[in-house]
Amino acid sequence: MAAAIETKKLTKTYKSRSLGAVNVVDELDLHVEEGEIFGFLGPNGAGKTTTIKMLLSIIYPTSGEGWVLGREIGDMEVHKVISYLPERPYYYEYMTGLELLMFYSSLFGMKDVERCKKLLERVNLAGDATKTISQYSKGMQQRIGLAQSLLNDPKLLFLDEPTGGLDPIAHTEIRDLILQFRDEGRTVFISSHELSEVERICDRVAIINRGKVVRQGKLSELLHGGRFEVIAENLDRSFEDTVKIPDAIVSYANGRLIVDMPEGEDLNALIDSIRSAKGTIVSVIPRRKRLEDLFVQTVRDTNQGAAR
Amino acid sequence: MRAILAIASTTVGEAIRRKVLLIILLIGLLFLSIAPGLGGLSPRQETTVLTSMMLGILQLTSAVIAIVLTVYLIPTEIERRTIYTILSKPVQRWQFLLGKYLGAVLALGLMMLLMSGVLLLTYYLLQRDVSRLGEIAKAPLFYFVQMSLLAAVAVFFSTFVSPLVNFFLSGGLYFVGSMLNTIYDTFVNSPTTNPAVKAVASVINVIVPNFASYNIQNPIINPGQPIQNPTAYALFTSAYGVFYILILLIGAMLIFDKREV
Repeated sequence: MAAAIETKKLTKTYKSRSLGAVNVVDELDLHVEEGEIFGFLGPNGAGKTTTIKMLLSIIYPTSGEGWVLGREIGDMEVHKVISYLPERPYYYEYMTGLELLMFYSSLFGMKDVERCKKLLERVNLAGDATKTISQYSKGMQQRIGLAQSLLNDPKLLFLDEPTGGLDPIAHTEIRDLILQFRDEGRTVFISSHELSEVERICDRVAIINRGKVVRQGKLSELLHGGRFEVIAENLDRSFEDTVKIPDAIVSYANGRLIVDMPEGEDLNALIDSIRSAKGTIVSVIPRRKRLEDLFVQTVRDTNQGAAR
Repeated sequence: MRAILAIASTTVGEAIRRKVLLIILLIGLLFLSIAPGLGGLSPRQETTVLTSMMLGILQLTSAVIAIVLTVYLIPTEIERRTIYTILSKPVQRWQFLLGKYLGAVLALGLMMLLMSGVLLLTYYLLQRDVSRLGEIAKAPLFYFVQMSLLAAVAVFFSTFVSPLVNFFLSGGLYFVGSMLNTIYDTFVNSPTTNPAVKAVASVINVIVPNFASYNIQNPIINPGQPIQNPTAYALFTSAYGVFYILILLIGAMLIFDKREV
């Protein structure tokens, strides 16, 4: 599959009087495939927004290379088929929703009122088209932001914290729209702190810390394995004490034994011992790691590595 | 071109809603309206002083509006992050800068038009003389070129200095540029001036835009001292202004193109 975004040793260095030269983005290697929802994760100050700004040529890399939809970053042609929704965007408040979309469409040399109206419908703002942006709620402003990002029918969307600070209903609306983008064959590059959201919608993720990519891959692979949950019945409570599996959480309630244990050979041994004790195995469920756990562990490990 | 016009149009929309600019404009309009009451002079003196005072109010108010409007033109877009959404579209930085400048000049023009209207109306109501209105109306046209040049100066500085520094830099340059003829004559025509000082004065005379060329109050106030060949003078000063504006905008575009926003 072709790469929607590719970077090789992309670096951004800032110089400050107190700290000297600081690599905000440090030899970043990124690979985003076309048609996927890609999560770009990292703690505050990790270099996420700086990376996006470099990919959009809002700022310039100090060194390294990058390509967006096969074109070198800085090539203005690619701006015709990409779009960007910045974190906490501000729009000209005196404009109505329709006027705002007309303004942004004119930046593409278009003047298509019908398209703007259709986009307002798509983001459920058709009834608010004549309200000024100052009258829009935060969620409505985010939706008008998504509408402006669809004006040029983009192949690739950069969304920086698209659900940040929104209520659960607005969250769901934005999430549904993003999933629709993937169904339409668009590539979506999301920078976010909302890990549960990312886990639900992203195909692949990269975790960035201190300007470097420290983990990158398919979510299913990154979160694969980890733990199993075994539930069994018809066992005495005393069986609970015989389970001696490291890092396992064992509980017994209402005649049911529940063992939450790490993946490994102990699983077969546990199943054998339950059968030997004439117990009934109700379920053996493989449980994925949570993205939050993976994120925290990855960031912690790299921070400890850097401190050594 | 459509992108430049769209950016210019939003700049006008923002400018005419900025409270600080509206307050300055209202103060200017107020002073223009009450100027006749500040007299206490003989009828002949009144005409001369009144015309001079009203043109002075128009010029000063326009200069303050021009500087306040343009020093925040680019920094506000960066601070509010509107520039990111715009530059992520197929819009070149020079187009953005040119759109912002044209919008600022257009907004400035609208405000000056309003003030000029009040000035002419006040003059007419007081003097009941339409014969001089055409002559007086020439001054705001010259001022408009002057203020467009001042706006270009402020846009140029706004690409690399903070708004506060820009305010004083542009204001300072406007002040020096308005006194340029006097300063230059004092240094260059004086036989006692050191040749090195003369050379510096000549360099400053070339670099600093000559804002004084647009101050045509004297020929308007004193009909006995008309401008020789007014058409040629108007064409020359306009071409001079456009030339400087182009130089400043090209410089601003080159700096802004390399700037991290």
